[in-house]
Amino acid sequence: MKNLKNKFSLSVLSLILISFLSCSDKLDIKAGQVNTSDVDYSDTDQMIQPLIGAYNAFATRGWEEYLLMAVRGDDVNAGGDQVPLQDTDNYIYSPDNWMYNSLWNLHYADIVSVNNAASLIENYKELADPSDYDRADQYIAETKVLRAWLHFNLSRLWGSIFIINTAIPDNEIEAGVATKDEVMQYISDLMDEAMPYLPDMRPNERQDVPGGVTKYTALALKAMANQELKNYQGVADAAGAIIASGKFSLFPDFYEEFKKPGELSDENLLEMQYSDYNSGTGDTFYHLYAPFGPAKYTPARANAEGGWGFYEPSLKYIKFMLDRNETVRLETSVLFTNQGIAEIQSDPNYATLPSFISNTTRDGDVIEDNVRTLFSSGKHYLPSIQLTAGRNNYGAGKNNICIRYAEILLMYAEALTHGATGSAMTADQAVNAVRQRAGLLPISGVTTQDVLNEKFAELGLEWGIRYFDLIRLGDYNELSYDGRTFSADKAMLPYPQAQVDALPLEN
Amino acid sequence: MYSTKQINSIMYMKAKIILLLLTLLTVSGYAQNITVTGTVTSSEDSQPIPGVNVIVQGTSRGASTDFDGNYSIKVDSGETLEFTSIGFKTKTITVNNQSVINVALDIDVESLDEIVLVGYGTQKKSDLTGSIVTVKSEDVERTPTANVMQSLQGKVPGVQVVSTGSPGDSPTIRLRGIGSYNNDNTKPLYVVDGMFYTNIDFLNTKDIESITVLKDASSSAIYGVRAANGVIIIKTKTGGIEQKPKFEYDGYTGVQFAQNVLKLANAEQFTTMAYESGSQADINFILNAMQRYGRSRVNPNVPDVNTDWFKEILRPGLIQSHSLGVTGGSENVTYSVGANYLSQEGILDMKNEYERFNVRSKIDVKLSDRFKIGVNSVFSNATKYNAENAAWFQAYFAVPIMPVVDPVNDAYMVNAFPDHYSNAQVLGYRNTQNPFPAMRYNNNQLKIRKLLSSIYFQVDLIPDKLNFKTTYNHDFSVINERYVNLPYNLGNNVDRISSINRVDNTYSNQIWDNILTYTDSFGDHNLTLMGGTSYRDEANDNLSANGSNIKSVDLETSWFVNATDVTSRVGGGSVGRRYGVSYFGRAAYNFKDKYLLYGTIRADGSSKFTKDPWGYFPSVGAGWVISNENFMKNNGVFDYLKLRASWGKLGNDNVAASSGTNTITSISTDIGDIETNGITSSSTYTDNTWEVIEENNFGINLGLLDNNLTIDADYYIRDTKNAIMPVFVPIINVTIEKNSGVIRNQGLELAVNWNKTVSPDFSYSIGTNFTTLKNKTISLTDPKGYIDAGSAEFRQRTIVGQPIKAFYGYQTMGVYQNQAQIDADPIAVANNLVPGDLIYKDANNDGVIDDNDRKVLGSYLPKIMYGGNIGVSYKDFDLSVSFYGQTGSKILNRKRGEIIFTNDTNMDADLAINRWHGEGTSNSYPSSAGLRKGWNQKLSNFWVEDGDFFRIQNIQLAYTLKGEKLFGKNMPETRFTLTADRPFTFFKYNGFNPEVSDGVDRQTYPVPGVYTFGVNIKI
Repeated sequence: MKNLKNKFSLSVLSLILISFLSCSDKLDIKAGQVNTSDVDYSDTDQMIQPLIGAYNAFATRGWEEYLLMAVRGDDVNAGGDQVPLQDTDNYIYSPDNWMYNSLWNLHYADIVSVNNAASLIENYKELADPSDYDRADQYIAETKVLRAWLHFNLSRLWGSIFIINTAIPDNEIEAGVATKDEVMQYISDLMDEAMPYLPDMRPNERQDVPGGVTKYTALALKAMANQELKNYQGVADAAGAIIASGKFSLFPDFYEEFKKPGELSDENLLEMQYSDYNSGTGDTFYHLYAPFGPAKYTPARANAEGGWGFYEPSLKYIKFMLDRNETVRLETSVLFTNQGIAEIQSDPNYATLPSFISNTTRDGDVIEDNVRTLFSSGKHYLPSIQLTAGRNNYGAGKNNICIRYAEILLMYAEALTHGATGSAMTADQAVNAVRQRAGLLPISGVTTQDVLNEKFAELGLEWGIRYFDLIRLGDYNELSYDGRTFSADKAMLPYPQAQVDALPLEN
Repeated sequence: MYSTKQINSIMYMKAKIILLLLTLLTVSGYAQNITVTGTVTSSEDSQPIPGVNVIVQGTSRGASTDFDGNYSIKVDSGETLEFTSIGFKTKTITVNNQSVINVALDIDVESLDEIVLVGYGTQKKSDLTGSIVTVKSEDVERTPTANVMQSLQGKVPGVQVVSTGSPGDSPTIRLRGIGSYNNDNTKPLYVVDGMFYTNIDFLNTKDIESITVLKDASSSAIYGVRAANGVIIIKTKTGGIEQKPKFEYDGYTGVQFAQNVLKLANAEQFTTMAYESGSQADINFILNAMQRYGRSRVNPNVPDVNTDWFKEILRPGLIQSHSLGVTGGSENVTYSVGANYLSQEGILDMKNEYERFNVRSKIDVKLSDRFKIGVNSVFSNATKYNAENAAWFQAYFAVPIMPVVDPVNDAYMVNAFPDHYSNAQVLGYRNTQNPFPAMRYNNNQLKIRKLLSSIYFQVDLIPDKLNFKTTYNHDFSVINERYVNLPYNLGNNVDRISSINRVDNTYSNQIWDNILTYTDSFGDHNLTLMGGTSYRDEANDNLSANGSNIKSVDLETSWFVNATDVTSRVGGGSVGRRYGVSYFGRAAYNFKDKYLLYGTIRADGSSKFTKDPWGYFPSVGAGWVISNENFMKNNGVFDYLKLRASWGKLGNDNVAASSGTNTITSISTDIGDIETNGITSSSTYTDNTWEVIEENNFGINLGLLDNNLTIDADYYIRDTKNAIMPVFVPIINVTIEKNSGVIRNQGLELAVNWNKTVSPDFSYSIGTNFTTLKNKTISLTDPKGYIDAGSAEFRQRTIVGQPIKAFYGYQTMGVYQNQAQIDADPIAVANNLVPGDLIYKDANNDGVIDDNDRKVLGSYLPKIMYGGNIGVSYKDFDLSVSFYGQTGSKILNRKRGEIIFTNDTNMDADLAINRWHGEGTSNSYPSSAGLRKGWNQKLSNFWVEDGDFFRIQNIQLAYTLKGEKLFGKNMPETRFTLTADRPFTFFKYNGFNPEVSDGVDRQTYPVPGVYTFGVNIKI
């Protein structure tokens, strides 16, 4: 009996041991993650997915990025209580400024993200039918344009930066930074490389990715890079090619170009797209526009939220516009408070103002007096009546236009005044095209200064275009306004301390 | 502490074994003349003690008592009888021809023969070579708390408990410093009746029999890859063989009050700060407030509102607990069953509470002489309403010149509903500031249901020597989270529509253990061998859904996702599953109870680590009981003296799992106003291995003055190798968790206890403990030589030679007092400073204040912790007082520090009162204008404060009614208690509460004082 019991025990024991040993192969299982190698790259219908991911990265921007790029110009001041922004506006730079570090990190992370997208598309291409090769090449070319735009911003802010073409950039970091000229030349060359594969149409003509980049976006970036290089013939050639295509035109209503009606218009060459898909609930893809908005307002549509008042058009800009008898462009660019209007009028030269200057916008939103700002940006304002019902965020769902045809025309005109030749049109024609839409009379014999003034009026508050024009032309006096003193050594931002600590960089 | 009966039942078995051995070893040939009989009882309650060993000193003759405490033994006259039993002090009596010797044994509080739980088995306390501390249930029961770990604070040297005031939350527990970089990875392993946990919030304090803390690596190495942060073994109550049913009711009810409420700047102080700031905007806000709410009659320059926001958001919180339990047993079956109800309100004045109902049962059945089977289950059903922790933070920031409810119903506020809460935007401030909307209109419900279920089967292969036990444990929990945002309008277009977010989490963790244990003795050699296997399967499954615009939102019955707008619904989910396979073994050997050797080995395989799933974790220990040496016998000083040393290696797999390869994430974006799906991929991946802890421990145990005084001391050096730390990858802008350095913790732990029974009516005890801790980074593989934590503005840095995540910034040297001082300092001139700005130390003497002048400002870990208790018992009364304190920790006062993000806000009174406002007014605080300047906002020791504190942990007065009669009937033993828990805390820190687990005080839930009345009835 005892023996039997022992045998029983032993057999139970060995059974347990055997079943236990079979557990060991579970150690190789990894649940809860999708590996890049798990994707079925032979399914080329899905090849567009990484490209959409790249556009997502491009359009996902921190609120501080735009403000930081633009705040130093004489068109706009830092409003509100943001010391990092105010200091930058006054040309007081600190490597510890969190906004610098954030913009650097977000831009580079997106460069790596679009490069990653390119390599996933390559994976699809390897297994694709030759008939899909063109599509793969086009997608990859699109990521190059996005990559170029991100590099362009970084180099305008910091000058020498790293050029990153891969997703694992160790070697590129080791190679060190490239000078601003090298970066701009790289962008120009990269656009030449991408152009043959890109669709020959306006972005809004694209069926596969409406609003995606096209050959003309690449040309625009090429023109912008060459403008930074002061290679004005290069600007005239690239911008001229866009003009000569005849595909682009200025959106007739300057005011609505920056509102929902202007989204994906024939004027836009590069645009970040945001939407709530016209539904009051459910998913949204928004940019945070609140920093641009007035700190206090009474919206025409109830419950529309106001903004933070961080971005204030300068008095200098407003007076410049009044001096030029600007109408729709001033109305579109600036939201006035009563206090702001009083401030303008306190200067006897501006005691009487045109009637469109009011604290009520043409869409009925009333901008209230507040202690933060006298003015707000109208180009980053979406009338509350254009909000989707049920959506209250400031500017909810409004697109953000990066490159407009008006800028192309004016870049072209400026290049010609610098002595470049172009057959697309004359400098006068280009400038007058822009003036005509603005309701101004044509001028003739435009000089570089005329074009610069036109750019100031047309492109004010947009992307720091004004600041970078003044830097490029060394026109520092304009930047020394309202008690600020600018000097050449303030042109570039210092590298963020966190990056100096982590990368081969020196301030 | 084991109850007398429980010890008895265990000991009866043991006694049989020992007797058997003794019989074998007995050399016959003597003739014993006298037969002595008698009864052994406990001096405490006069109950008989079974299983007492009665041995004739100097011989191997012995007997043991039966269930009624009776024994019988043959002796010669003049021989000495020794009575020993676990839990009692040994007594010796010389036989002088008596034939009846009745003995009453005293309870030994610090018994060295106490059985201590070690992993997968038990050991005698006297055989231990490592550092193991057992806390008795009566010591933790004094603290009225939902989480038993909260009551361990200050009781075990080397264990840091950072208490929390939030109902249902678990305190932060750290054993011997911080051995892993991420705070989440430093949780100790809890082993509850064999099952592994990282959170024991489902346990009721009254259900716990003992808590055993395995501190050193050698003691915990048997748990291998899970043991890195120390192991806490918890045993729930068990019944005893042949034990009559014992009923026990235990309950308390009481109130919690906020302690040391931080004083905020009042309206007048706030207004002064605003005027002195020189900011026109801030002055305008004050004017707006005066326009809106009128001027104060006392000071017409101050608005007629003075809101103390902390006072507004606080309330007294009720707490109550009721437990009912029965334990008992028959010849073959033992049982312990019970139930508990606990409810606790938070001190934040909102739907913030915790309610838990527990049911527990444990049954062991002896099937035959050799087979045993048992089941154990604990079910806990809890509902928790989480606090809006942001309220602590908002209350600090909300301006005092705004009322809670706005009395003005103008164009701004006309749309406000359902309540007319004020909105700071109306005064011109950027944010709404008022904490009440979030407190009133957010409802955060968590339904937490946890079930621990286990079954074991045990067989004695060779009776009393070799047994085999297989155990299956299942820890199944479901957490249903429901976060409802109710609609409100705060005026000024701040309108929120209703929304609901539901998250369901299911956790299913299973462990299957097989253990073979062999115990034997050969002469003076005693040996225990153990070998086993363990298989773990840990799965989690998470499903979430949310939607907005809830129909009939006023009714709680509508708070589900399908009641929201169809188009608004969004869902998501994730899964995870990890497997572990382990083999382990242990040998414990002692020679003549003098020389002790101990060794363990564990091999662990884990699916978390792609590169190599297998790790091996050995340990050894040795001990020398000097007091058992002949030369130490009757030395008159030491009753007990043991030296110990141990070494061990542990793993920590509670770290980020290796992804092993690049991964894909799904996204959606707007393309032409159509939501379009896409993917993004990562370009970094990790191939980590676990962290390895290697520890040396040296210890000494002393018993003096008839063992009334005991001293236990340990010194350890504990290194975490391959420590996983977040490494920032520039350009790619990700932080990856990577094996990248060595962290060392070292320290001294000392516990001194004095127990004295002066007379049967009067006894007292005094215990103190003391812990030092030195945390240091030994090496880092990152070529930069440091790893950053915190944000760039509130930098914490890990540098070789310094504590991990130390606060890192500038050192202030005072405040510039006058213009002459400014003019004389080139640094002040270069930075356009003015009087009232901080003076920083130019640490590298290069004439410039920049990043290179930053230094380590201190760590959030305390350098010294100390605790103690005093207990006095006189007749039916007993009183106990315990205290706890710590020094050397630093706190980043981030409430103050966040002025860098906006200066729209209020501050604490200390900051306003002590500001610099003219020469000689302050040499440590900047001026009001200075507070808003980037220069003064740099992280410096102005923002980093001492976290030292001393607290009276617990005062309890109890009265016990025993053996009383009421109307001629026997009254059950009844004990009444009055308890004040954490009533007084003393500290200098300018915050609510010096207990901040990670040292960054932004919105820490304050720890309340708890005052309760309790009743305990035993039948």
